[in-house]
Amino acid sequence: MTTVAKLIDTTLCIGCKACEVACQEWNEQEFTLGVFANTYQTLPDLAPNFWNLIKFNEEYKDGAQAWLMAKYQCMHCAEPGCLKACPSPGAIVQLPNGIVDFHQDNCIGCGYCITGCPFDVPRLSPTTKKVYKCSLCSDRVGAGLTPACIRTCPTNCLTFGARADLVQIANQRAVELKADGHKDAGVYDGPGVGGTNVIYVLKHASTPESYGLPKDPTIPWTVALWKGPLKWVANAAFIGTAVGAMLHYLKFGPKEVHGDKAD
Amino acid sequence: MHFHVFDAAGESLGSFGTADHGRRAVTKQIDRFSFAERASHWVSAICFLYAALTGLALWSPKLFWLSGVFGGGEVVRAWHPWAGMIFSCALGVMIRRWSAQMQLDEDDQIWLAKSHLYAQNIEAGLPESGRFNAGQKMLFWTQSAAALGLVFTGVVLWFPESMPRALRLGAILLHPACASVSIGGIIVHIYMSTLGVPGALQAMVRGTVSEEWAKSHHGKWYREVAGR
Repeated sequence: MTTVAKLIDTTLCIGCKACEVACQEWNEQEFTLGVFANTYQTLPDLAPNFWNLIKFNEEYKDGAQAWLMAKYQCMHCAEPGCLKACPSPGAIVQLPNGIVDFHQDNCIGCGYCITGCPFDVPRLSPTTKKVYKCSLCSDRVGAGLTPACIRTCPTNCLTFGARADLVQIANQRAVELKADGHKDAGVYDGPGVGGTNVIYVLKHASTPESYGLPKDPTIPWTVALWKGPLKWVANAAFIGTAVGAMLHYLKFGPKEVHGDKAD
Repeated sequence: MHFHVFDAAGESLGSFGTADHGRRAVTKQIDRFSFAERASHWVSAICFLYAALTGLALWSPKLFWLSGVFGGGEVVRAWHPWAGMIFSCALGVMIRRWSAQMQLDEDDQIWLAKSHLYAQNIEAGLPESGRFNAGQKMLFWTQSAAALGLVFTGVVLWFPESMPRALRLGAILLHPACASVSIGGIIVHIYMSTLGVPGALQAMVRGTVSEEWAKSHHGKWYREVAGR
């Protein structure tokens, strides 16, 4: 099956937040009232009922004030840290089309996925004790529709399609931007997690942090160590100790009380 | 002739194949563990078993089926931390009561250096042990240290939404690491206290051991309590 992806060309984002509204409506989320905090950002952070946030950041770039806006949501990694950390089979699934989906019916609310995610995306609901995030509208995609955010984007900043095609478009766009004088332009698609199915075109690709994106995201090494070497060593130790105890009993037997002769 | 020696609880302490031992059919019992010691041990043991089995359910998706035994993943996620809390309180009682007696002395150092003899049931070359032998002392300190790590990292994992990411990243590795040490240790402990050393389980259940048992396994302690 073709791996699907979302392309976010941040150079075309006007910060209208239509994608945020479309996401809320399609996924039937309650709207949360925010507080004005001297920013054009809707809410300070993602929330259990708010899966798609246009991050807004003002910075001096190339000697001029720059408004850096980037849509932030689940990146649908090829090697998902959330899935690696999740103990409950079926709570997090990676679909053949590359979408990483959460099934709340199987979620136990441990929150390990939040720690496993290199992008800090999943959010635990204090009321339902389940974790939520963008599903890339797996229900719409399954029915042959494009995700709600992409359907609604008025500027073609967002594109949905086969990942391979979108990577080409993104690289082409970066070349154009460089030709236009944006020497730092480039593509951000998380090679450290096997590639993400959300691909960004950034004007300032060497500093993704300016857009609120982590630089060189990878599965946290503590999670990788736990789910890798620690598990092998400990499993071997558990089984080895139990088998060792059995063999010890067979070879040496119990420690009997000495008779009077020992006195 | 073949005689069984029974203790006060009616449990067999072992059999003796020669007629010489027949006269010791009734043996004197010595108090080994007080009610408070036994109660704290078993409260912690039950909580430990529950926390270990439910913890293994969260350790790997391949062991998640264990959560079904205890009411399902959500129930396990809710109760595992509480079992840990009760466990640590009971362990706190044991640490208070035993930490002074668990200090390793010079004989214990020799014992540890020759512990391979103990493992082979050749006790002749080993120094006599006090109330606890050096192996028990090592287990006590290992379990206490692992438990301390489990409690601190456990609280971090309990409330992921209100903990800083750096702490959670550390806890998600250290919690299972400490648990591995502690589960490995407990496998040895359960073996030794049931099959390995007959009479040890009854010491922790009824609180008493036979005079012979005390002499054999904890000679120094026996002379202290017997006053000779």
